[in-house]
Amino acid sequence: MKYHDNTGWLYVLPAILVLGLVGLFPLITVINYSFFEIFILDARFWVGTEWYAQIIGSNRFWASFGRSTLFSILVLIIQIPLGIVIALCIPRGKVWAGLTLAVIALPLLVPWNMIPSLWLSLLNPETGILGRMMPHIGWPTDWKLSATHTWMVLIAMDVWHWTSLVVILCYGALTTIPAAHYQAAAIDGAGPWRVFRFIQFPKLQHVLLMAVLLRFMDSFMIYTEAFPINAGGPNGATMFLAVDLGEDIKAFNYGPSAARSVLYFLIVLTVAWAFTKTQAKLDREHAQ
Amino acid sequence: MSALSRYPPMIKRIGLMCFIIFACLPLAQMTMISFIATLPTAENAVGTATFGNYLGIWTDPHLRAAFGNSIAYVLINICITVPIAVPAAYAFSRMSFLGDKHLFLAFIAFRITPPVVLTLPIFQLFSNLGIVNSVWGIALAHCLFNLPISIWILQGFISAIPKEMDEAAFLDGYSRPRFIWTFLLPQISSGIAVTAFFCFMFSWVEVVFARILTTTNGKPISMAINALFGFQTDIGLVMAVTFASMMPGAVFLFAMRNHLSRGFRIGRI
Repeated sequence: MKYHDNTGWLYVLPAILVLGLVGLFPLITVINYSFFEIFILDARFWVGTEWYAQIIGSNRFWASFGRSTLFSILVLIIQIPLGIVIALCIPRGKVWAGLTLAVIALPLLVPWNMIPSLWLSLLNPETGILGRMMPHIGWPTDWKLSATHTWMVLIAMDVWHWTSLVVILCYGALTTIPAAHYQAAAIDGAGPWRVFRFIQFPKLQHVLLMAVLLRFMDSFMIYTEAFPINAGGPNGATMFLAVDLGEDIKAFNYGPSAARSVLYFLIVLTVAWAFTKTQAKLDREHAQ
Repeated sequence: MSALSRYPPMIKRIGLMCFIIFACLPLAQMTMISFIATLPTAENAVGTATFGNYLGIWTDPHLRAAFGNSIAYVLINICITVPIAVPAAYAFSRMSFLGDKHLFLAFIAFRITPPVVLTLPIFQLFSNLGIVNSVWGIALAHCLFNLPISIWILQGFISAIPKEMDEAAFLDGYSRPRFIWTFLLPQISSGIAVTAFFCFMFSWVEVVFARILTTTNGKPISMAINALFGFQTDIGLVMAVTFASMMPGAVFLFAMRNHLSRGFRIGRI
């Protein structure tokens, strides 16, 4: 039970003020810009929803949308189960568990703009560790010409970069399970699958929901890492939503880029809303 | 059954080893190249093993300044985020107040808003405030994602503390703020360290805000690395800088290794 106490607002007020300054205020500015044609910021014309109509009506937007969705789905399908499995494999002893987690988390420390460079040099056919081995198993040296191979590199890169976050989250939830539960399961003769299904998975649900949220959104809007691998190519096969927006901003198209930003924020809001709904549903199930 | 219980640990160990090798492979590549001369110099031919790249970091004033900038903005960010996040996390953990669910939705939405969506207005706003091209701008901009995640982590630690402790303190005549200061903070000290680590981690490696907010001055390491790319890129130096940039994080990570996952035990606000 929580106390009902509206002075809670006083405690969250500083957080609201800071997020208002760096989040809400810029967001309102963007919404404002999205209805104007802007050459320089002092001279602008009302164009209503023209930019929105243009973006929604363009094939390019929907193609990017489809690619980003596919990328996110593939990333989630690999990262979430892999994260759970690795978390289950982490040794029980405190010393080894800590060391393993620390080593697994290392990819999270690489500056994001260096991640594509690391993978490109890894796949370099002359000097890369993988690049020199890969041709023997049928990997073409000119993989950049192939959309499938570029996608495989991007997904491998994202799995490498972010699975450790899923592992850390899942491992945290697994450590809350009392040893007595495992002993009870052993007495009942439950196999590994039943232990997972009835003891471990229920504990993981909330954390997994958070992991899915973070991983879905960050991969859906992948920007810094994706572009340098193959410049959105071949033939735009790896142009994602955020890359389109980045191009607009670089070209100083204030109006269209603002409209695009608003559309993307609406996606963000929908996802956040679905997340809180699912979380409330999980809470009700746990309460029963 | 006995066969089953004997084999899984072996499979687990092999699986874990494969994953660790996968995680370390690009880092091994990076480390390898960082010790190789990749541009011809007076002393070294291309391809010889050398410490020159690391000496290069030390002798380049831009790179040294970049390390200083990165450390400065991350520390400022942590000093803004943690003191603001502690009371907010306490409120979310212990009180229910009008609109708390909606507020939570808003915080989640800002955490998952991609920085690229807000780059333009944040740049304009911060120009007007006069904090572009300095460490202050980046430190403030990174609150966008660090503040919600900090509240989430701290909330997990605070909820793990029994409510009876609050009640006992109130009976003894402590006010809420004094209770937080004298009793709660020492209890959640490891939580604060974990929060600081995740703020550090997400802020240190971020590049979208860092790029637009530092065009002339105050460049962090990631942008200093970008500046190294050019007509003739010294990829050995690039890799050495990347390796060096991971060191503070690796030390922090190693120190925090046993607490790392404790913030995510319940995983909800």
